[in-house]
Amino acid sequence: MKTLKAFFLGRLLREKALLVLFFVLGVAMWGSNFVKRASREWASIRSTTTELNTQAQWLANRERIETASVEAVQNLDPARTFDHTRLVGELSSLARENNLRFTNDTPQTVRSGQFAVHTVQIQLPRADWEALKRFYVALARRSPYIGIEQFALAADRGNPAQLNASLRILSVEIVR
Amino acid sequence: MTRSLISSLKAGPPPPRVVLLPDALFFVRAIPVPRDATPPEIASQVELALETLSPFPPAQLYHGYYWRPGGERALVYAAYRRRFTTEQADAWQNAELVIPAFASVLGGNGNRNTTIVLPSAEGLTAIYWDDQAVPARVAFRPVPPDALEADVTRLREELLVAAPRNKTIVLDAEPLAESSSGDDEMTFRIGSMDSRLPVAQTASMDVRDKEALANLRRSRRRDLVLWRTFLGLVAALVLLGLAELALIGADFWQRTRIARANEQRPLVERIMTAQTLTTRINELSTKRLLPFEMIAFLNNHRPAEVVFRRVSTVGLHAIRVEAYTSAFPAVSTFESALKALPECERVELTVLPGGDNLMTFELTATFRPDALKPDPNP
Repeated sequence: MKTLKAFFLGRLLREKALLVLFFVLGVAMWGSNFVKRASREWASIRSTTTELNTQAQWLANRERIETASVEAVQNLDPARTFDHTRLVGELSSLARENNLRFTNDTPQTVRSGQFAVHTVQIQLPRADWEALKRFYVALARRSPYIGIEQFALAADRGNPAQLNASLRILSVEIVR
Repeated sequence: MTRSLISSLKAGPPPPRVVLLPDALFFVRAIPVPRDATPPEIASQVELALETLSPFPPAQLYHGYYWRPGGERALVYAAYRRRFTTEQADAWQNAELVIPAFASVLGGNGNRNTTIVLPSAEGLTAIYWDDQAVPARVAFRPVPPDALEADVTRLREELLVAAPRNKTIVLDAEPLAESSSGDDEMTFRIGSMDSRLPVAQTASMDVRDKEALANLRRSRRRDLVLWRTFLGLVAALVLLGLAELALIGADFWQRTRIARANEQRPLVERIMTAQTLTTRINELSTKRLLPFEMIAFLNNHRPAEVVFRRVSTVGLHAIRVEAYTSAFPAVSTFESALKALPECERVELTVLPGGDNLMTFELTATFRPDALKPDPNP
């Protein structure tokens, strides 16, 4: 260190000032670059820590969830469950039986192990109240294989005596 | 410059640049000073003494003095400026210290009641100590270049006779400045003897022009600030290097964690899906959405003046109704009636913009769980 000090102090003033300036720039550039990278790394570490903690909680509850999943479907008769085609067919049939117009969107399916849940959005336009009630009662008889997840009803603008109904229906399918 | 740096670092710290001037050119006197005098007082006393002792004014002299705090004596030395060439004086500019050669010996320990004889190319210098830390006298005897050993011995004996009771140290080499272990002292080696002069003391010993010395000290302070800044920056670079290593380590560790998270993700997503679907199936079996029962319930408590325009369910237990009326008080009647019912957990009313003497409003009723039962004929 004494040698380095002697070497440094032995330089001309402009050489000393340039050396210091060069090192200041070096520290500033490296430091700012390092801070940016360290911040990114820190954010990544925190995000991964959160994800790993969440994953650990789910994994710790895995057995309980799988048991609950088995229990949830064990009282259901696989023959009475509906895949997405049967679900749309059943709904269409029920609507026809109650003189209701029927349109549907594309069914969505979420699968998990031995069962699947299908969801479909249907519209029953220009229906009368009694027909809708009969449709609802018929649908309720298929519980718990079919259920209503969301329901909306509005008076028709052209004829307020008629109603436009929109329902999100879901069904369970047991795959064995 | 790189080669110069490497060779400098390999060679170790160079000795301080000290100029030792010939003793022959200086006259030396010890002057008494008060024991409790401060350094500025000593400096002015030395100036006064020089004016008295010297045939030349102090401005025409290179002078310095040696004094120890608490001492009763200062050793003053001076040389006429014209005895040195301009080139010689210019060469001193970058020196750390310029003193007569004998002054380098003054930092030796235990010199009381001692006489030290110091050889030089021009002659012999004897420094006499009595019982004080500052020498009582300094004497010089010129030695001609062609002098015999016997002449030198005779001259040395002459010098020693002046203080016969003193311990005698005869040095056989000229003083050499050495790099010292600390920054606060200057070390000289004279044969087998070491002399250490505190840097604070060398300021008064330096014979150069005092104003030039003050400038030199200022530039040294500035250089020291630059050196400390430079050291701080080097330390910052070392820290950054260590932090980079830590970051590399953290990145490696983070990669293994991300790999683990990626590996677990499909399984966790399956568990999450199973949980979601299980919840939905359980809700299908045990918690049915009862929209018609909710509409019927509201309808039973609806004032005749209120007309429903639109209804939609919100979650499993709430329903939102958009309605209108021409009888404004009926709205609050409807809201109050619902709030009073035990089946309703919460009722929220928002008046919507309207016209034609109609009040349009939105009412959201949240039912308590299990408050409504499935009705086979709602």
